[in-house]
Amino acid sequence: MSSSTAPLSAPLAARAGWWSRLAGSPTLRFIVRRLLLAIPVLFGVTFLSFVVMNSLPGDAAQELLGAQATPSEIHQLRAQLGLDKPFLTRYWDWLHGVITGHLGHSLSSGQSVGSILVSDLPVTFELVAFAFLFSLALAVPVALACARKPNGVADRLSMMFSMAGLSVAPYVLALVLVYVFAVKLNVLPAIGWVPPGQGLWQNIRHLILPAVSIGLGLLCFYTRLLRADLLEQMQGEDYVVTARAKGVRPWRVLTHHALRNSLFGLITVVALNLGTLLGFTVVIEDIFGIPGIGHELLQAIDNRDVPVIEGIVFVFAVIVVLANLAADVLYSILDPRIRYGRPTE
Amino acid sequence: MSDAIRFRRLAAVAACLFLIAAVVSACGGSKSSSSATSSAAGSSSTSSASSTTASGTPKPGGSLTVLELGGYAGAWPTGLDPATNVNGAADQDQMNSIFGQLFQIAEGGKVVPDLAASATPSAGGKTWTITLQPNLKFSDGTTLDGAAVVSNWKRDFASPCTCKPTGLPPIKSITAPTATTVQIAFAGPDGAFQNQLLVANLNWIASPTAIKQMGEQAFKIKPVGAGPFTVDSDTLSNTLVLKKNPSYWQSGRPYLDTLTFKAVADDEAALETLKAGNAQAYDGMATPSLVSQYKASFTTTEQPATSPYDIQLNTAIPPFNNMNARLAIYYATDAALIDQKLFGNQFQVVQGFTAPGGLFYYPNVPGYPTYDLNKAKSLVKQIPGGLTVNFFTLGSPVNQNFMEALQQLWKQAGINTSIHLYSLAGLIQQFVSKKWQAALQTAGAWDPAAGVGLGFRFLSASPFSGVHDPKLDAMILGGQAAVDPTARDKIYQQAAQYIAKNADGPFLFPLASWNVAVHGVQGPGLTTVIPSVVVNTPPQWQSVSFTQ
Repeated sequence: MSSSTAPLSAPLAARAGWWSRLAGSPTLRFIVRRLLLAIPVLFGVTFLSFVVMNSLPGDAAQELLGAQATPSEIHQLRAQLGLDKPFLTRYWDWLHGVITGHLGHSLSSGQSVGSILVSDLPVTFELVAFAFLFSLALAVPVALACARKPNGVADRLSMMFSMAGLSVAPYVLALVLVYVFAVKLNVLPAIGWVPPGQGLWQNIRHLILPAVSIGLGLLCFYTRLLRADLLEQMQGEDYVVTARAKGVRPWRVLTHHALRNSLFGLITVVALNLGTLLGFTVVIEDIFGIPGIGHELLQAIDNRDVPVIEGIVFVFAVIVVLANLAADVLYSILDPRIRYGRPTE
Repeated sequence: MSDAIRFRRLAAVAACLFLIAAVVSACGGSKSSSSATSSAAGSSSTSSASSTTASGTPKPGGSLTVLELGGYAGAWPTGLDPATNVNGAADQDQMNSIFGQLFQIAEGGKVVPDLAASATPSAGGKTWTITLQPNLKFSDGTTLDGAAVVSNWKRDFASPCTCKPTGLPPIKSITAPTATTVQIAFAGPDGAFQNQLLVANLNWIASPTAIKQMGEQAFKIKPVGAGPFTVDSDTLSNTLVLKKNPSYWQSGRPYLDTLTFKAVADDEAALETLKAGNAQAYDGMATPSLVSQYKASFTTTEQPATSPYDIQLNTAIPPFNNMNARLAIYYATDAALIDQKLFGNQFQVVQGFTAPGGLFYYPNVPGYPTYDLNKAKSLVKQIPGGLTVNFFTLGSPVNQNFMEALQQLWKQAGINTSIHLYSLAGLIQQFVSKKWQAALQTAGAWDPAAGVGLGFRFLSASPFSGVHDPKLDAMILGGQAAVDPTARDKIYQQAAQYIAKNADGPFLFPLASWNVAVHGVQGPGLTTVIPSVVVNTPPQWQSVSFTQ
C-alpha cells in the first residue's frame, strides 16, 4: 500500500476510522443489500396492481360521472384525467412521480395522495398496533402457561379456544363483538373513531372492538405456535437438561431460557403476518367506520382512483419489506451466533 | 384427582355457563338507544305512507348523529362543492344542511320556499324569475343576493361535472335584475323549472367569496353556504360534523347544536349502531326484510316512493322490434305476485312511470296490458324461433332476486331468459353498445320532467332509452314545457297510455325507503312523510329536534 499521502489530522483520522468500521459492518452491508433487493419487489408489486386495475371494467371517468353520463362526457373526462394515454405511459408517469417524491392526486377528490396517506396512515397504524399488542400481550403468557403443563387444564382450554378463534373470520367476529359489547352490553361503541387529541380514553374505546376483531385470530395462532416451540425446547434441548440439573426452577427455565429461543419462530410469523394484517384493515375499517388507509383503499377501488390505489399499495409494500428486514435484524440481536456476513460454523 | 377428570369437570362447567349466557342473551330484549334522548312510552313506529306526525314540543339544543349508507348517501369522494360533487343527488342531507335550498319539498309533496321566496314564470314559461328572501347572509358574513346566485348558476353550468343541471332547454341568459331577484331565460318553454330546481345543484348556493378566498380544493372539503349548519370538520366519505349556524335566516332554527353525518356499511350495521346508541337517525333504510326489526325499536317512517321499476325493452333491434314480443313480456309479467312473494305486498303495483309519492300519478292506465299467461303463451308461439331474451340490471341482492323471479315467470310463458348483473361500468357499456335487449331499471321521478325522470328512459336522444319515437318525444317534451299543471297532467296521461298501447316497456312497482329515528327525535321528513325527489327523502334538518 502506498504511503505517499500526508498523514490525516486526528479528528479526520477518527472519522475515517469510524466510517471504515461502519462500512465494514456485516449487519449494515446486509441491510443495504436487502434494501436494494426491495426495489425490484416494489416495482413488481406496483406494476402488478396497475395491470389489475387496468384490466377491470370501467375506469375512474365512468365511476365519477355515474349512470347519467353520456359517452362523449366520459370521453372528455378521460382525456382530462389522462386516462386515454397508453397503459405503460401512465405507469411510467406515476413511477416518475414517485421517484421525484410526488405520488399524484386523487382523481375523485383532487387531494394529493401524499396528504391522504399522511392523514390516514396513522389511524391504521394505531389500529394495527393495538391488534398486535392485544395478540402478543396475551399470546406469550398463555403459551407459557400451556407449555408449563402440557395437556393440562389450561392447555386443553387454550386449544379449544384457539381452534374456535382460528375458525372465525375477522369480519364475522366483528359483527358478533358489536352485537355483544355495543348492542347488548352497551359498553363499547359500534362504529366510529376519535382522534387521540380529542380524548385518549375515547380513542382507545373506539379501537378496542376493531383491534380485537383483527387480533383474536392472531392471538390464537401465536399461542399455538409459541406453545409448540416452547415444548420442543423444553423436551429436546440439552441446555434445558443442564439448567434443570443445576436446580433452576421449571418456570424460570421456561421464561429465561426456552422463551428466548422460541421467539425466533414468533418473530418470523409476526413479520410475515403484517401484510395479511393490513389486508384485514380494509374490511374492518369499513365495518367500524374508521377513516384509515384500508377504508381509503376500498373507496379508491370503488372509484377506480388509480393514483390513490397505487400510492397505498406502494406504502403497504414498503411496510412489509421493512418489517421483514426488521425481523431479520432482530434475529441477530437475539442470537449472537447470527451475525450477517460472518462465516457460519 | 387426575388432569383428565379435572378437565372434564371444568369443561362441563364452562358449557353450562355458556348455555346460560346464550339463553339470557336470547331472551333479553334490545336496548333502546339512550344518548341525549328522552324516553317515550311504547313504540311509536309508523308503518305506511299515511303515518301520523310524531308529536312533541321541540327542545332546542343537543347533538344528533345521522347514519348514511356508505357508497351512496354516505359517500362524498369529490367533496361538497355543488358545482363538482358528483354524488350531490345522493348527498342531499349534507348539502341541504350546509347550503340550505332555494326551494324545498314539504309534507303533501308541496314545494315551499326556503332561501327563495317565490318562482314566477313568464313569457309562456321561457323566463323564470326567482325572488330571494330579504337580507340573506352566508355563514362567512357575505351577502347572498341575486349576483351570488347568478355566479353559482353560471359556475354550475360551466362545470364539466355530470352533476351540472340537465334536461333544461337551451339557456339564453342568467341575470340579476335586482339585488334579490334572479332571472333565467330559456330558448324554449320549461313549465317544470321550479320542480327541476329541487333535483339540481342549482338549488344550493355557495359563497362566491369563500370559493375565491379558499380556492376550490379547500372549499370542497369545508364549504360555506347559508344553510342551517356550518362545517366543523369533514373526513371525506366517513364523517361530517356540522355546527349550528348562528346567522341562519330563520329565527329559532336550527334546533340542534351539532349535526354529525356518519357513513355506515349497510342497513344491518346501521341497525346495530342505532341499538348501541351511537347514532340517533338513519336516512334511507332500503332493506324490506329488516323493517320489522327497525319498527320494533325505533320510529320508522316509510317515505312515499316516486320511481317505479320498469322493464326497458330495446325496440330498435330484435327481438323487441317485434310488437308481439313486447306484448308477450307484458302479459307474462305478474308484478303483483313478485310484490307478494319477494316483498310481502309492501309496495304499490303501478302501470305508468309515476308512483304514489310523485306528481301526476295514475293508478290505472287505460289500455295497459295486464298479466295474462295464456295470451303470453299464444304470442310467444307466433314468434318465429320463439322468444329468447338477454336481460340485465345493476348488481345487487334485491335486483338478483327480482331478476330470478321474472325469469321464472317468463319461463312459464315459454320465454327463455338469461340474466346478467353488472357493475355500474358494465351497465353503461351495455347501453352504449346499443345491442342490449332488456334491462330492469327504475324510471320516472317525483316530477317526470326532473332529474332521472321520464326522458332518461324514453326520450330518443337519451343513450339509456330503448324507445325512438318522435310522437312520444313530443309528449315528453310537451309535458315539461307546459306551465299549467292541468295541461301537464293531461299530456303525461296521454304519454302513459301511448307507452302502454305501443308496449314500450312494462312497469312494476316502486321500492320505498324508510327514515329511522330513535324515540324522542322528530322532524319533517324524518318522522313525517315527504316524497323523495331523488331516491331518499332528506329530512328538513333545520326543523329536526329532540322533544321535551
